[in-house]
Amino acid sequence: MGTTKKLWKGLEELQNGPEFIQQQQNEFAEEIPLEKLLGDEKIENSSTSRRDFLKFLGFSVTAASLAACETPVNKAIPYVVKPEEVTPGVANWYASTYFDGNDYAGILVKTREGRPIKVEGNTLSPINKGGTNARIQGSVLSLYDGSRIKGPYAKGAESTWDTVDKEIGSKLTSIASTGGAIRILSSTIISPSTKAAIAEFAAKYGNVKHVQYDAVSCSGMLKANWNSFEKAVLPTYHFEKAKVIVSIGADFLLNWVSPIEHAKGYSMGRKLSKANSEMSKHVQFESNLSLTGANADERAHVKPSHMGATVANLYNAVAALCGGTAVASSATPADAKIAETAKWLAANKGASLVVCGVNDTACQVLVNGINTMLNNYGSTLDMDSPSYVRQGMDDEFAELVNDMKAGKVAALITYNTNPVYTAPASAGFAEAYKKVGLKVSFADRIDETAEWADYVCPDSHYLESWNDANPSLAHYSLQQPAIMPLFAKPRHEGTRQAQQTLLHWAGNKMDYHSYIQKIWSERVYPMQGKYMMFTEFWNNSLHDGAVTVGTGKVLMPSGETDSGKDEAKNTKKDTVSISGAGMFKQEMVVDVKTEPAPKMSAGEAAGMIAKWPKGGAFELALYEKAGPGNGLQANNPWLQELPDPITRVTWDNYVTMSPIDMKIMNLSLMERQDRDASLVNITVGGVTLKLPVFPQPGQMPGTVGIALGYGRTKAGMLSDKVGVVGQNAYPLVQMVNNQMMYAAFDVKIENANEYYKLAGTQIHHTMMGRHLAKSTTLEEFKKDASAGNEREMLHTHSGLKNPTDVTLWDKFDRLGHRWGLTIDLTSCIGCGACVVGCTAENNVAVVGKDQVMRTREMLWIRIDRYYESDMNEHVAEEKGEGAVSMYLDMEKPAELNPKVIFQPVMCQHCNQAPCETVCPVIATNHTSDGLNVMTYNRCVGTRYCANNCPYKVRRFNWYNYNANTDYTFNPAQDDLGRMVLNPDVVVRSRGVMEKCSMCIQRVQAGKLEAKKAGAKLVDGSIQTACAQACPTNAIVFGDLNDAESAVTKARDERNYFMLEEMNFQPTVSYKVKVRNCAPTEMHHEEKHEEHQEEKHEEKHEEKKES
Amino acid sequence: MDTVCLSPRKPLRLILSLLFLSLSFSFNNASAQADGKKLFKQKCAVCHSMKEGVKITGPSLLGVFNRIPQGDWFVNWVLNNDKLIKSGDKYAVKISSFDVSAMTVFESELSKEEVLAIGEFIKTGGGDEAPSDCENPFAVTEEEESNATLYVLLGIISFLVLLIAVLRTTKHSIRNTLNEREGKPLNPEMGFWPEAKAWMGMHKRFVALCVIFVLCIGSKAAWDGMMGIGVYTGYAPEQPIKFSHKIHAGDNGINCQYCHSGVERSKTAGIPTVNVCMNCHKGIEGSCGWMKPEIEKVRVASGFDGSGYTKPEKPIEWVKVHNLPDFVFFSHQQHVKVGKQECATCHGDVQGMHVIEQKEPLTMSWCIDCHRKTEVPGMKDNPYYEQLHAKLAEKYKGQKITVDKMGGIECGKCHY
Repeated sequence: MGTTKKLWKGLEELQNGPEFIQQQQNEFAEEIPLEKLLGDEKIENSSTSRRDFLKFLGFSVTAASLAACETPVNKAIPYVVKPEEVTPGVANWYASTYFDGNDYAGILVKTREGRPIKVEGNTLSPINKGGTNARIQGSVLSLYDGSRIKGPYAKGAESTWDTVDKEIGSKLTSIASTGGAIRILSSTIISPSTKAAIAEFAAKYGNVKHVQYDAVSCSGMLKANWNSFEKAVLPTYHFEKAKVIVSIGADFLLNWVSPIEHAKGYSMGRKLSKANSEMSKHVQFESNLSLTGANADERAHVKPSHMGATVANLYNAVAALCGGTAVASSATPADAKIAETAKWLAANKGASLVVCGVNDTACQVLVNGINTMLNNYGSTLDMDSPSYVRQGMDDEFAELVNDMKAGKVAALITYNTNPVYTAPASAGFAEAYKKVGLKVSFADRIDETAEWADYVCPDSHYLESWNDANPSLAHYSLQQPAIMPLFAKPRHEGTRQAQQTLLHWAGNKMDYHSYIQKIWSERVYPMQGKYMMFTEFWNNSLHDGAVTVGTGKVLMPSGETDSGKDEAKNTKKDTVSISGAGMFKQEMVVDVKTEPAPKMSAGEAAGMIAKWPKGGAFELALYEKAGPGNGLQANNPWLQELPDPITRVTWDNYVTMSPIDMKIMNLSLMERQDRDASLVNITVGGVTLKLPVFPQPGQMPGTVGIALGYGRTKAGMLSDKVGVVGQNAYPLVQMVNNQMMYAAFDVKIENANEYYKLAGTQIHHTMMGRHLAKSTTLEEFKKDASAGNEREMLHTHSGLKNPTDVTLWDKFDRLGHRWGLTIDLTSCIGCGACVVGCTAENNVAVVGKDQVMRTREMLWIRIDRYYESDMNEHVAEEKGEGAVSMYLDMEKPAELNPKVIFQPVMCQHCNQAPCETVCPVIATNHTSDGLNVMTYNRCVGTRYCANNCPYKVRRFNWYNYNANTDYTFNPAQDDLGRMVLNPDVVVRSRGVMEKCSMCIQRVQAGKLEAKKAGAKLVDGSIQTACAQACPTNAIVFGDLNDAESAVTKARDERNYFMLEEMNFQPTVSYKVKVRNCAPTEMHHEEKHEEHQEEKHEEKHEEKKES
Repeated sequence: MDTVCLSPRKPLRLILSLLFLSLSFSFNNASAQADGKKLFKQKCAVCHSMKEGVKITGPSLLGVFNRIPQGDWFVNWVLNNDKLIKSGDKYAVKISSFDVSAMTVFESELSKEEVLAIGEFIKTGGGDEAPSDCENPFAVTEEEESNATLYVLLGIISFLVLLIAVLRTTKHSIRNTLNEREGKPLNPEMGFWPEAKAWMGMHKRFVALCVIFVLCIGSKAAWDGMMGIGVYTGYAPEQPIKFSHKIHAGDNGINCQYCHSGVERSKTAGIPTVNVCMNCHKGIEGSCGWMKPEIEKVRVASGFDGSGYTKPEKPIEWVKVHNLPDFVFFSHQQHVKVGKQECATCHGDVQGMHVIEQKEPLTMSWCIDCHRKTEVPGMKDNPYYEQLHAKLAEKYKGQKITVDKMGGIECGKCHY
C-alpha cells in the first residue's frame, strides 16, 4: 500500500540529527560499562579466584535445589459467592450460535469454571445437525487472542467509550444535519436484531445505507435468483435427496455457501449399509483439485475461462434430454463428460442437483435453468425456505467504493469486514477509504482496515456476546455469552458489542439482550404455536439453541424420501399460508434485494458467457483452505498448523500447479514434500506475487490455484512472532461486471529461480501398492458387500491362515467395555474438523513451521491423503518394468486426474501393541477395556515406541513448547491463551512421547456418569472429540461388547483393519471407500489415453526448446 | 434426610432455610443426655442470638421467657410452630406475622426433654462461656520445642568435643611430664591431623568398620530423604484464618458435605465459598475471645457490614493441604459417590483436627495398596456392572474382587 504519509516515533526521529542516527545504529541505547569493569584494578587484586567463584556457584545451585524440595505452597481461592450453576470441576454447556459472516453452525459451548474451552456442534440445530468444521472448532482459541484490543481507539491512541461515543455522536449528528451520506459496510448479517439495530441507527441519522459485502461472495447467485425467482436469496440445498450431484467449480463441502450443512446432507446421501446400497453420484468440473473434487466420483478438468461454456453446454445437453431450448455455446474439452453427466441428470429428474461456484450472474441464471428443467426446485433445492447466509452484493460494494472515491461518503462504519485486506486490487478500496470523512471500525483488533480508521470501537467476541440468527427462513437460533467479556472494566476500558454501540448511537439505551428479547417477542414468538408464554418460548429457545418456526416449512431429511413428491409439495403449500412467517420473510427479502434488474433470459445469459475473454497460457482459480478460510481467523495458530487436506502443507499458501507444467517450466518438483519449492512471480493485471509452487496432481495443466486468506499483515501477534503467513491473494480477484471473479483468465508466471521451504506433513503421496486405504466401486459393492476388502492371509506350513490364528501373543479378555472406533472412508471428506477438535480437546501443542518441516508436528490425528498411482503390478507387467522402477513409479501419483482417498489416522490402540513391548520403562501399556495408554510421567523419552509403531502415530515432545521462548505462538505460553487448555488433560512437557488417548478423559467421565446413575452406559453418550467434530458422522465410537452399539453394527463386510496381516488387533477399524463411478478397468484405459495425449504435448514442448 | 411439613404459603426463603438446616443438622440426635447448651448451638444459634437486641434470622432469645406465655407453649412452639399457629393460638399468630420467614419445625429432630433443656439454657442467659472452651488451640508453639531439642543436642556435641580436646591436651601434658621426669625426650607438639592420622593408622580395621557404618547410615538417610521428596505427610500449613475443623465438624457435628458440597458431584470436593460460611456466621460471632477476630475475617471477606453485604469482597486465600501432581487425575465423586469411601479413609480424623493436616502420604504406592486391598461389593442397583462383577467373580474364582482386578491399577485410569 503506497502512502505519502510520514510517520515518526518522536521529535528526535523527525529532526533526524547525527546523534540520533548514531544512537539508532547502536544495539543498546546505553553503553555497556565493559571496559570500566575490566579496567578496574581491584578485580586483579581480588582474592576471589576462579575456583572460588565456581565453589560459590556450586554451593548456591545446591542450596537452591535443596530449598526447592520444600513443600510448595499452593493457594486455593474459592469464590466469595459462588454462581449457582458453577461447580468447580464440572463443565457447563451452553447452546449458542456461530456465525462469522461466513460459516454458520448451531453450537454447544463447553465451559469449565466459567471459561469456554471447547465448541461442539449442536445436534438440535436443523442446519448443521451437530456438525462443525475446523474454523468453528478453532474459534474458541480466538476468544483468548491477546491481539484483540482492550478498549476503543481514537486516532490511533487508546481512548474511552465516553470520549468516542461523544465525539462520534457529535460528528454523526453534524453529518446528518447536512444530509451527508453515512454508510455501514458489513459482512453478511443474518441476525434480525442486528438488522433492527442498524435500522434504528439509520432512522436516527437519515441518509444511512447498509451495504453487505462478503470477502468471498455469492452475489452472482443472489442476482440470478432475483432474476429467476424475484428473490435475492439462496435456496436451501438438500444434498441428501440428490441422486446425482453436479458441481461446476463449487467447493460445497469445504467453503461454498453453507458447507457444514452440505457435508451433512452429502454424507447422508452416501451412507451405505446392509439396508441401503444406494448412494448419490457426484460429478465435479474444476481446475484446482478442491476438497469437494477430491471426494467426487467423477471429476473432469475445466479451465476457469471454460466454466461458463461448461454451464452452457450442460444446459444444452440437459435441454436436449428434457425438452428445452438450446442456447448459444462453444465447445469445451470436457464436452464428452458433460454429455454423459447430462444423461445421468436427466435419468434422475427431480432428484438431482447442479451447483456452480462461479460468481457470475449469467452462469447462475443458466444453472437455475438447468435445475428448473430437471424439476429440482422443491426437492433438492428449496427456494421456499431460502438460506440467508450469503447476502453480500458486489455491485453495491462497487458503488460504495465509487461514492467513496468521489468523496460522497461522509462516514463509513465497517463491521466484521476487512475490505482493505479483502477487496480486489482493482477496486482501490484503500485509496477510497482515505477519502471518507469519518471512518469508524468495529474490528476487534487493529486490522488492515482499522489501522486507517479514525475510531476503532472493538466488538466483543461471539462467545462473550448476545445475538440471534436467522440462517434460513424458518430457522432461528440464539447466541448467548458463555463468559463475561474478557476485556472489561475496571482493568480495561473493555470491548462492547457492535449492536450495543449502534443502539447507543441511535439513542436507544436498551441493553442488547433485552433488545433481542423485544425483537423476538414481536417477530419470532408470534410465528410459533408451541409455547403460550413468551418467557417459556425464550427460555426453551435459549436452552435448545435453535428453534424452527412455521413447522412444515422444513423439508424432511432424506430418510423420508419415500413419502413422495406430491406430499412434499403439499406441505410446502401449507407453509406459505402461515402469515406470520410470510410477513417476516418478506422483510428479510427486502433487506437483501437490490434494484430490480432487467430480466435476463437463458439465451441472454449464454450470450454474455460467450463474450468471456479467451484464456491465456495460464489461468488462475482462487480458493479457500480448510484452516484459515477467508482469513478472518488468520491469527489462530491451530488453524495455521492444520495441514491443508489436499497438499498437506501447513503455515503457507502457494501456487498449485500441474507437475506436467512444472516439468516444462523446469520448476522444483519436490519429489519429497520436505524438499524446497521453487518461487515464481505470478502476475495478474499488474499485481505480482512471489509465491512458492507446489506440484499438485490433479491440477489441470495450464491452470494454477492460489489460496485466499493468507498474507495478513495486521492479523495480530502471530504475524509478529512468526512473520506474515503466506501472501495475500485477494488483490488478484477480478472485478468483472461489478462482480468479484475468483479467477483470472490470463496469468503470467515466471520462474524466479529462487527456492523456498514449505512445511508439508506427508512425505508419501501414494500407498505404494499396499492396502492401507481400500476402495471399490458401487457396482462391485452391490455384487459383493466385501468388494475391495480382500483379507490378507498368511502362508504357513499348514496352508493359508488368517493372521489372527497365527499369533505369538497370549489371549486377552475384555470383560467389561471393549472400546472401538470405526471410520467410514466413504463418508470422510477430509475437512480437518476432527484434527482441530482433537487439538482443542487434548491440549495438543502448536509447534510452528520450522518444527513441522522437521516432521515434529504434534497433531494426534492426521488425515492421510492418498492419490491413486498410474502404476500397479499389472501395468508394470505390461510395460515390462522391473521391481525397482515399478516402485519408483508407484510413488508418483497419477498426474492428470488421480482418485483421492482421505484416511484419518490416530493411534490404532492395538490390543497387541508393538509399542508396548519395546518400552523399557513400561510407560505405555493397556487398559482392560482395550485402550493403549501413555503414561507421560513415566516416560523417559527413549522413542523406541515411536520407532516400533507401524502406523507412525506417536509424537515426541522435542521441546518444552509450553515454555520455550522459540515457541511463543503456542497458546499455552500466553496468560490468555492458556485459558483454553482442557483442565482434564495434562499438558505434556519436553522429552515425553504422546499420542491419541482415544479421549480417555471422556471415556472415564462417561463411565462415571453411568455408575452414578446406576444405569448401563448409553451407546453414544461417550464420543471422542474427533467423532463429535465430524460433520459427516464418518467416525463412530462405542463399546464393541455391546451387540446393539452403533460401532458394532458399523463393522460390516466393508470393515477392515490397517495392516491386519500383522495381527496387532487394533481397536480402530476402517470401512472400504465406495465410489459411485465406473469400474476401475475402464477408468485406467481412459487415463492412458489422456496420459498419452499429454506425453505428446510434452514431446512437442521439448522439441521446441531444443 | 429429615422430612418437614411445609405449609403452602411459605415463601422460597423458607424452603432454602429448611434445606440448609436439614443439611447442616442431619446427624444423629440420639445423644442420651440433653445438653441444653450444645443443643442450642446446634439447633438454634444459626437463627437466634443470645444478645440483647441482636436479630439474625429470628429474634434474640435473651429473656424470651419474660415475653412468651407460660406452660407448654415454648415446647409446642419449638416442636411444631406451624401447628400451633394453625390451632389459632393468639400469641403464636401474633408473632408469626412479624416475619415472612417461618421457623423450622423441630418435631422430628428434638424430643420434649431436649427442648426443655434448651429452655433451661436460655433461662441461664447463655452469654457467659465456660473458660475451658476458650483455650486457643492454635496457640501451640511446636517450632520452639523442636529448636530446644536441637540446642540440647548441639550443646552435648560441643561439650563432647571440648572434652576430647581437654583430655587430649591433658594426656599430652601428662605424657610430657612423665617423659620429663624420666628424662626421655619430650613428645613434639603434634597437630591434630597428624595425630589423628597416626591413630587411624594404628586402628585400621576399626576405622574401616566405622567408615562402612557411617556410609550405611548415610545411604539409608539419603534414600529415605529422596523417597520423601514430594511426600508431605503431616503437612499442616498455617491458614489465613484459624479455622478449626474440630469445632465445626467435630463439636458441632456439621456434615462434611455441607461445606464440601462438590464431593459427590465433581472431581474436587471444593472449598466452601464465603457465602456458605456466612450462612451461619452472619449470626455466630464466636463464643471465645480468640474466635472473634478470625470470624471477623470471614465477614470482611464476604463484604458484610453488620447487616448487609455492601463492602467490597475479598476472596480468602487458603493454603492447599492435599496436593496431587498435575499429571494425576483423582475424582472425589468416583471414590465417595460410586466407591462409597469414607472421607476419613484418606483425610484421617478431621473431626478431631483443629488444624487440618495431611494424614496420608498420597503417594502412588499408597493409592495402589488401597486399590489392591479394597474389595468391591458389586453394584446392586446397576445391572450392567452387576453382570460384569459376576464375570469377574468367575474369572478370579475364590479370590476377592478388589479394585485392581477391575483395572483399578492401570496407568491410564489416573494418568492422562
